[in-house]
Amino acid sequence: MSTVVKVLYFGTAQEMAGRPSEEFEAGDTATLRTIILERYPAMRSLSFRIALNRILLKEESGLKENDIIAILPPFEGG
Amino acid sequence: MKNRYLVGGPITPLLISELMTLGNDDAGAGAVSIFIGRVRDDEVSGKRVKAIEYSAYNDMADKEAEEIVKTVKAAFSDVRRVIIVHSTGVVNAGEASLFILVTSGHRDHSTRACRHTLEMIKERLPVWKKELYL
Repeated sequence: MSTVVKVLYFGTAQEMAGRPSEEFEAGDTATLRTIILERYPAMRSLSFRIALNRILLKEESGLKENDIIAILPPFEGG
Repeated sequence: MKNRYLVGGPITPLLISELMTLGNDDAGAGAVSIFIGRVRDDEVSGKRVKAIEYSAYNDMADKEAEEIVKTVKAAFSDVRRVIIVHSTGVVNAGEASLFILVTSGHRDHSTRACRHTLEMIKERLPVWKKELYL
C-alpha cells in the first residue's frame, strides 16, 4: 500500500532535483528509488545512499506515513 | 534543538580558543590532541578556489557525530573527551572548517584517537561542499 513520505535532497542531488525536498507516494524504498530516478534521470549517475528517518539503509525497506527519506550523495566533510 | 556539532560560517580563532578551554576542568587529562582542517585555495581547471560552501543534513549529522564520539571512546580506553565541530555555510580559503579535540590520560591514545575521529568524520558525517571560485 502506498503512503506519503517526505524526501530530502542533499549536495549534488539537491542541485539535480532543483529543490531541497518534496513528497512522494510509495509503499517501499525500492519503488521510491525507481520513481525518483524516473523523475530525475541525472541521478542515475550519482552513487547516492538513502537514509530512512536519519539512519542509512542497508537494504530496501517498507515505508509508513510521515517517514523521512534522505538522498545522500557521497559525504565530503572534513 | 541547536546542533552541538555544526557551526554557521568559519571556525574562528575566538571559537577555537573557547573550545580549547573545555577540557581544562579535567586535570587527569595529560594529553590534548587537536586537528584543525582549513579550506585550501586549490586551483581547479585554471580557477582558484576562494571559498567552500558546506551544507549538512543537520539532524543526521548530530546523531552521527554522537556515534563517532561514542565509538572513539570505546576504541581508545584512555580517551576522556572528544569534541567535534564542523562548519556549514561559506568558509573562505585559509579559514578553518573542522575542529577536533581529543583529551586522554597519555599521548598515545589522544594522537591516535584524533586521527581516527578525523577518518570517521570523512566516512560518516553527512556534510557536502561546493567550491566557490575567484
